[in-house]
Amino acid sequence: MPLKKMLSVLMLQIIIISQLALAVPVDAGASKQDSLTRLSSVRHAVRTDGVTGEKSLRLVVEVTGPVQVSKSLSSSPTPQLIVDIKGAELGNVANNIVLDGKIASDLSISSLDKSDCRLVINLPEAIDDTECKVYTLPEDTATNRPFRVVIDIDKPLSVPNFNFTPSLKGKVIAVDPGHGGTDSGAIGPNGVQEKAVTLAVAMEVKALLEKAGAKVYMTRVNDRDVYAPNDSATEELSARAEVGNRNNADIFLSIHANSFQNSQVGGIGSYFYKNTIYGKLLAQNLQDGMVKASGLSDRGIYPANFYVLKNTAMPAVLVELAFLSNPSEEKLLNTPQFQQKLAQGIVNGVNNFFVQAAKLGGIN
Amino acid sequence: MFPRYVICAVLVVMLGLAAGCGAPPPKSDGNDTAAPNVDVNVKQNQQELPAPAPKNSPKAQEMMQVTTYHATEDAMYLVPETQSVPKTEHPLQTALENLVAGPQSSQLVSVVPAGTKVLGVKVKNHIAYADFSDDLIKSNHGGSTAEMMLVAAIVDTLTEFPEVEKVQIMVNGKKIDTITGHLDTSQPLARSENLIKR
Repeated sequence: MPLKKMLSVLMLQIIIISQLALAVPVDAGASKQDSLTRLSSVRHAVRTDGVTGEKSLRLVVEVTGPVQVSKSLSSSPTPQLIVDIKGAELGNVANNIVLDGKIASDLSISSLDKSDCRLVINLPEAIDDTECKVYTLPEDTATNRPFRVVIDIDKPLSVPNFNFTPSLKGKVIAVDPGHGGTDSGAIGPNGVQEKAVTLAVAMEVKALLEKAGAKVYMTRVNDRDVYAPNDSATEELSARAEVGNRNNADIFLSIHANSFQNSQVGGIGSYFYKNTIYGKLLAQNLQDGMVKASGLSDRGIYPANFYVLKNTAMPAVLVELAFLSNPSEEKLLNTPQFQQKLAQGIVNGVNNFFVQAAKLGGIN
Repeated sequence: MFPRYVICAVLVVMLGLAAGCGAPPPKSDGNDTAAPNVDVNVKQNQQELPAPAPKNSPKAQEMMQVTTYHATEDAMYLVPETQSVPKTEHPLQTALENLVAGPQSSQLVSVVPAGTKVLGVKVKNHIAYADFSDDLIKSNHGGSTAEMMLVAAIVDTLTEFPEVEKVQIMVNGKKIDTITGHLDTSQPLARSENLIKR
């Protein structure tokens, strides 16, 4: 047989076989529909939100038909999340499953009665209603996914043993004016550059903090790249985080100005990395301080997977002073009086943070 | 040798298979946990999906659903927008092209810098490598809100596909550390559900 002909025959066979192979699972799926609804599998994974950096445990219980779910939290004798699944019997799934240990310890599944199941999830720490979600997902034939019960549990914020005293005196504070040198950051419609605004406000913050008795380490004090001109973002951002880490700073403040496609958007926002209670507390205090001092609108505080927040060992916050893309806020950001107001708001926020953090204790 | 018409028929069947098993419908709740561990590229994966072979009528245009994410006007949330578009053999790239083209709704704002082009998307080990022209960085006006919305929109648009768990953002074929200097994009990123408006 000539080679060409052999290849053609082979190709035809492959195509026929692949079509047969495609047809089989479809038929199999269609024929096993009519038994009682039951749990068919339990999976779990720890997930990290790609943008906010929030960690959560997701449990997925596959069921062979639609069910109803309800949840309840119990704190005694030990913290538990209880999920009842109505309309399904316990199938051939494991009764006990060990979970990640940090977010949830383990899961046990039992029958409540003939058509209801109960999942008991043991937790290392008590959580509140907003920190866990329980919902169902419908069957999706196109992607071959059955009915599912999904349980999401947020990773609780840790409480490290920081011992803060309630004042700025003697505190070590790292201040990071965003961007600089070859990186101008955002540029407003009238040409105001983020790197100039962040430096001006940061220098005011430095002066006010030093006046109150704090020791301040700046990532830059003029218009320059912190690592080297035209460096990679990782080199540049790690050099900034390093200023906080190397000097054992009590807190790290990164000062930025915001921008968005829609020039109407305005206001102040603060970002923290969701690991300890202190990052969030610092963000809230800075946010309150800036909003009060400036009178601009309050966009709130958010967890974010920002490099300088993730790679600093102390409570760290990135503040967005206002929007350079908004012409009226651009104008304000460029005036020394407004820069002074924002700096004062930041310093008030830092002071309030230490007052509140000191109350949280540690082992004093 | 096979007569020419046999080979033609074979080719028609092959094309039909490829076109008929296009993108799955969107799943706005995203991937739940790890998908079965298979190493696939986009084309193979389409063929593994158990969809019926199409009726090969040249008149009826086959359609597929594509879900993209765009920002609310106040830049607080992302909102999914699902469109029916002509079926293509590269649904992930089509989805990104729809994202870049911007929202249909006048209530939503595009998060992708003007002029950005999609250079390609490949999936390996459940990671989608999404390659854009350097307009993604050069035409970007900066700001951490814009960066968060942009990264989340790319990742969420691609993780609508069941074969994609994480997304590595690339520019001109290279991984990038960041887009505008806040978020760390050096590693593949998982779906961001927390910015999506519910």
